[in-house]
Amino acid sequence: MNSLERFAAYARGEQLDRLPCVPIVGNTAARVLGVKVSEFRGNGKLLAKAHVAAYRRFGYDVIRIFTDLYTQAEAMGARVHYPDDETAYLAAPAIHSADQIPSLKPVDPYKDGNLPHHLEAMERVYQAVGKEVVVNGALTGPFTTASFLIGTENLVRLTLRNPAAVHELCEVALQGALAYARGILDTGCTPSITDAMCSSTVISPRQFKEFGQPYLKRLVDFIHSRGRAVTLHICGKTQPIWEAMADTGADCLSIDNAADLEQAKVRVGHRVRLMGNVPPSEIMLQGTPAQVRAAVRRCILQAHDNPKGFIVASGCSLAVETPYANIDAMLAAVREIGWPVHAEQLTKDELTCA
Amino acid sequence: MPENNEELFHSLSDAVVEMDEDRARQLSVQAVERGIDAYAAIDYGLVHGMTRAGQLFETEEYFIPELLLCSDAMYAGLDILRPHLKQSTGQRRRKIVMGVVEGDTHDIGKNLVKIMLEASGFEIVDLGRDIAPQRFVDTAVAENACVIALSTLMTTTMDAMAEVIQLLNQAKIRERFKVIVGGGPISQAFADRIGADGYANGAPSAVKLVEALVGQAAWGGVVTA
Repeated sequence: MNSLERFAAYARGEQLDRLPCVPIVGNTAARVLGVKVSEFRGNGKLLAKAHVAAYRRFGYDVIRIFTDLYTQAEAMGARVHYPDDETAYLAAPAIHSADQIPSLKPVDPYKDGNLPHHLEAMERVYQAVGKEVVVNGALTGPFTTASFLIGTENLVRLTLRNPAAVHELCEVALQGALAYARGILDTGCTPSITDAMCSSTVISPRQFKEFGQPYLKRLVDFIHSRGRAVTLHICGKTQPIWEAMADTGADCLSIDNAADLEQAKVRVGHRVRLMGNVPPSEIMLQGTPAQVRAAVRRCILQAHDNPKGFIVASGCSLAVETPYANIDAMLAAVREIGWPVHAEQLTKDELTCA
Repeated sequence: MPENNEELFHSLSDAVVEMDEDRARQLSVQAVERGIDAYAAIDYGLVHGMTRAGQLFETEEYFIPELLLCSDAMYAGLDILRPHLKQSTGQRRRKIVMGVVEGDTHDIGKNLVKIMLEASGFEIVDLGRDIAPQRFVDTAVAENACVIALSTLMTTTMDAMAEVIQLLNQAKIRERFKVIVGGGPISQAFADRIGADGYANGAPSAVKLVEALVGQAAWGGVVTA
């Protein structure tokens, strides 16, 4: 059963070989190909080759073309630093004060920054393996892009001091996101949204409803208008905003390991599919294959019976140096449990282990 | 206008909690004009308010935006009151060198920890973000700090934290400093593995951790006359 067949059968409630499994591989793809992370910059062909190689190496169910969250902000003027062989990071925002917001232009995904190269990578991967596996293009949410455009501290102060300016900034970020989403869809890929700064670790649920959700909803509506289902990931704590996240219309919520899958299932599982939440740092990067197996079993026990379905996934993108053995262990643990899931057996094993 | 000192301290505390920078400034000017001891106005007023804000943050009634605006009000008052503090007795090392480790520029978490530690009376040498391991060590030595506080949000930069501790070991000065670590991907297990002295999962708990490691700081290092 390939990934597309597995998802289709799962949606129809038919027999499966195992639950879908997505260790969210990003720049680890560079390791699989033996190239440096910085070589991905401006090289869609290499980025595509690496992601196809990583998919073939591990056999997971979703390929996500992703290098970092800054691509759209960079295309709008933010400065990004590219270390030789690590994930890029934000060097400086595009603007420093609210009065500079009118100077920002939404992106042209075919011209600005690294976006054309990312689109090229998406197109190449979709052409190569899009008939067998889901290929997603990473899309950063408007509020998060806004934080990279004006600086996070600046933005969160403005949410209280000058809400109108925040809306103006989110609007221009949304226009950029819509243009990029259109570009992603035209490659054949599906945009998957990350809106890290909307986390309840950063802003209040009330602020999410004011500055995050409305823009996400418009983005989701657009992607739906092209007939695609959307996954929304928000990092860190999200428990206070699960309903509001579902209200964006997203079809699947990706739950960070800082939140509780079982509670998410009870609260919004009848509305959205869930994915998550094996800890990417403590378990996937620093843990052993045995710890990965235990974490996978815990996730499946908590959410296998989610009414709208469940995907075993890492709680966030994996670190570059995540050991292959742990990624393999994640898939092996899901295969071992198979389908249908026998919860009684899993519970018994848990008890034996404890 | 507040009637007596007690009321003024209350009002200062409320101004911080209510994120009212102008009011914090006005009340601080009043405190100076009335000849109220600056240390008391800071400790019972501004710092009291910031501690309450930290509690609201811990109970998730306040989030990062509110905490930052509270700190803006606290600092507005401090700017006015600080010049009126009586001479420091310097009885305790209470300097903390902190920064975001090399390869990361996410500094909002570090800034929150800085605010809360500063409110608790520690003197902060903030190196900023994307800081090389050797700079933490050199600065801690030069400043005669008691704590080195390392922050990161990225899994990619966690090893730089271990490197700071290795450098301290190599220079045979490890025991002179308490090293604490924090940030999204960091855990107690990671702190233990690299040999850090402590881990905290948020700004208010970072204060408790530091106080457990090196004792409480007197605000501004002053003793009231």
